[in-house]
Amino acid sequence: MTRYGMVIDLDRCMGCRACMEACKVENSTPPASFFMYVFRLEEGEYPSARVSFLPRPCMHCDNAPCVKVCPVGARYKREDGIVATDWDRCIGCRYCEVACPYGVNTFNWMDPRENAYLDWDDEDVAAVSGGAVPPYRNPALDEPYGPEQRRIAGGGHVRGVMEKCTFCVHRVEDGLDPACVQTCPVRALTFGDLDDPGSAVSRALAGRHGFRLLEEVGTEPRVHYVGGAPPGPEAREVEEPVAEV
Amino acid sequence: MATTVRTLPTERGRGGRSWYPVVAILLLVLGVGIYGYLQELSEGMVATGLRNLGPQGGATWGLYISFVIYFVGLSFAGISIAALIRLARLDTLRPIARMAEVLTVICLMLAAMTIVADLGQPLRGIVNLFRYARPQSPFFGTFTMVISGYLFASMVYLYLEGRRDAAVRAAQGAPYARFLRVWAAGYADTEAERERHRRTSFWLSVAIVPMLVTAHSTLGFVFGLQVGRPGWYSALQAPAFVMLAGVSGLGMLIVLAAIARRTLRLPERLGPGLFRSLGLFLFLLLLAYLYFVAVELLTNVYTGSVREREVMAELLGGGYAWLYWSAIAGFVASVALLLGWLVLARLRGSLWPLVVAGLLVNLGAVAKRFLIVVPSQTNGQLLPYSEGSYAPAWTEYAVVAGLLALGALLFLGFAKVFPIIPLPDHKDAARREP
Repeated sequence: MTRYGMVIDLDRCMGCRACMEACKVENSTPPASFFMYVFRLEEGEYPSARVSFLPRPCMHCDNAPCVKVCPVGARYKREDGIVATDWDRCIGCRYCEVACPYGVNTFNWMDPRENAYLDWDDEDVAAVSGGAVPPYRNPALDEPYGPEQRRIAGGGHVRGVMEKCTFCVHRVEDGLDPACVQTCPVRALTFGDLDDPGSAVSRALAGRHGFRLLEEVGTEPRVHYVGGAPPGPEAREVEEPVAEV
Repeated sequence: MATTVRTLPTERGRGGRSWYPVVAILLLVLGVGIYGYLQELSEGMVATGLRNLGPQGGATWGLYISFVIYFVGLSFAGISIAALIRLARLDTLRPIARMAEVLTVICLMLAAMTIVADLGQPLRGIVNLFRYARPQSPFFGTFTMVISGYLFASMVYLYLEGRRDAAVRAAQGAPYARFLRVWAAGYADTEAERERHRRTSFWLSVAIVPMLVTAHSTLGFVFGLQVGRPGWYSALQAPAFVMLAGVSGLGMLIVLAAIARRTLRLPERLGPGLFRSLGLFLFLLLLAYLYFVAVELLTNVYTGSVREREVMAELLGGGYAWLYWSAIAGFVASVALLLGWLVLARLRGSLWPLVVAGLLVNLGAVAKRFLIVVPSQTNGQLLPYSEGSYAPAWTEYAVVAGLLALGALLFLGFAKVFPIIPLPDHKDAARREP
């Protein structure tokens, strides 16, 4: 039985946020919406300040609070453990968002802006894009997926429904790694089947002392961290992200 | 009996010359609310001040959810008082029973509308909430037990309790006779019918009173069961919800009764005894609620987790402190006013202390609902996100004001076509003519 999970090596992460970038390009997420987020944290005061980085995808919890509270079952857990959002059924009550201790959910506050990041109709852009499909919509995310045959990802970014990290299910089903894993220049992220002892993710975890985020709240996350330590109570973000929707 | 009937709102237009201007203003406010909601529908919820938690640094539940809880709270007190009046034979309170029932029905409708206003996909919500309902979700109780069950039970109760009055008024040739006859549905006020009604509404009350606790508790559980939200996750959440619901509902009933006494000129039926009971009841509930507040405060400040203490610090001395302390001051002032009114004979001549207390506890209730919903989102993240902020946009204010106006309109409309104070029944007549 496949049991997808992720291992994040904090000793390797250098906070470049390339994974965030790759995620935005792959999933064409709306402005100010991050399926993958990397904390840049500091603790203590000069001269004993300490900086650390903490990538935060969706934890795809085994005891997912978001799945529990969804009043219509739009948020569900697939057999392989990926927590997905049936955006055709979601009513936009945002209960999953307040229930999640990790803050990974993002709501579509408005219709997707087609040229949010780049004006694809611009002549200069058209000259170099070679007629590529503008990435404000990922056709791969429109289809129902898996044995459940349910909608699963943020395809189309329909206004008024929830979205979140999908472990790039459309890539995983094709045998590829999620975009963040693929992109990471220092291989801090590993993805794969936790039940298969030979998989990259099992090998990354084997014999190493790891932790999971907020284990004390009992969500049983599928994302393991190795190297480094969980952020302390005094940790704060280095910069204040000003995100305008 | 003849004199009593003459002072009842028997003719059309009762309520004075101010009825039409008041209705006009309310319609205007309702219009602004509808405009605000249309704005939200056309632009998406980006028209509100709500934003995502975490990296976006907002609150995803805000003014709307606060008012959902507030409206359900009001409704809760309404029907429970009506049912308790029947079960415990609180005859002094009987003149306000219908007002309480109408308050319940209207507030539940407003609560349902507020929920819809808060949904990203309102039409889908109305269908899917029933089509794919999941009892595992704490939200399930809100739309089954509260919105559907409670609303239905209250409407049946209101209908049954009103049948006799409808028949009597229709026989008197009151305006809207056709409507009254439909309501009366052939009721002829015979001994057998009266007995049957008495029995039916008795058992309906027996069913409603336990719902007074369970239904509002489910709303508390929507928050109290969320382990990931410091400030929400508390066993005290559900009972405190029930308590504050009773406080705000009773306060509102006092205000409504005072207005009715003024406009309908019914000092005799809405007498001092009735207000004294309401005042005493409110006083006791308010004390109980303040006890809950103190317990919560002590627990969170003394032994709360790091994040719980952060939320608490934000309430007590941070960005929400002005609202928190205003609410507490309002509650304490109400306690003082009620106590003074109940104890000092000098104050008892006027209803003003009571009415002011009723208004204050309602403002306090709105503030407390807001303070439960919002700070745990903006300042209660378990991961080290930067502090968030939330300020409602004008659309949210407009929609909420529009809903309040709609509620007032429905109430005024009902009072115009139907006796909002139940007609004196045979027992009243018998008491007065020994």
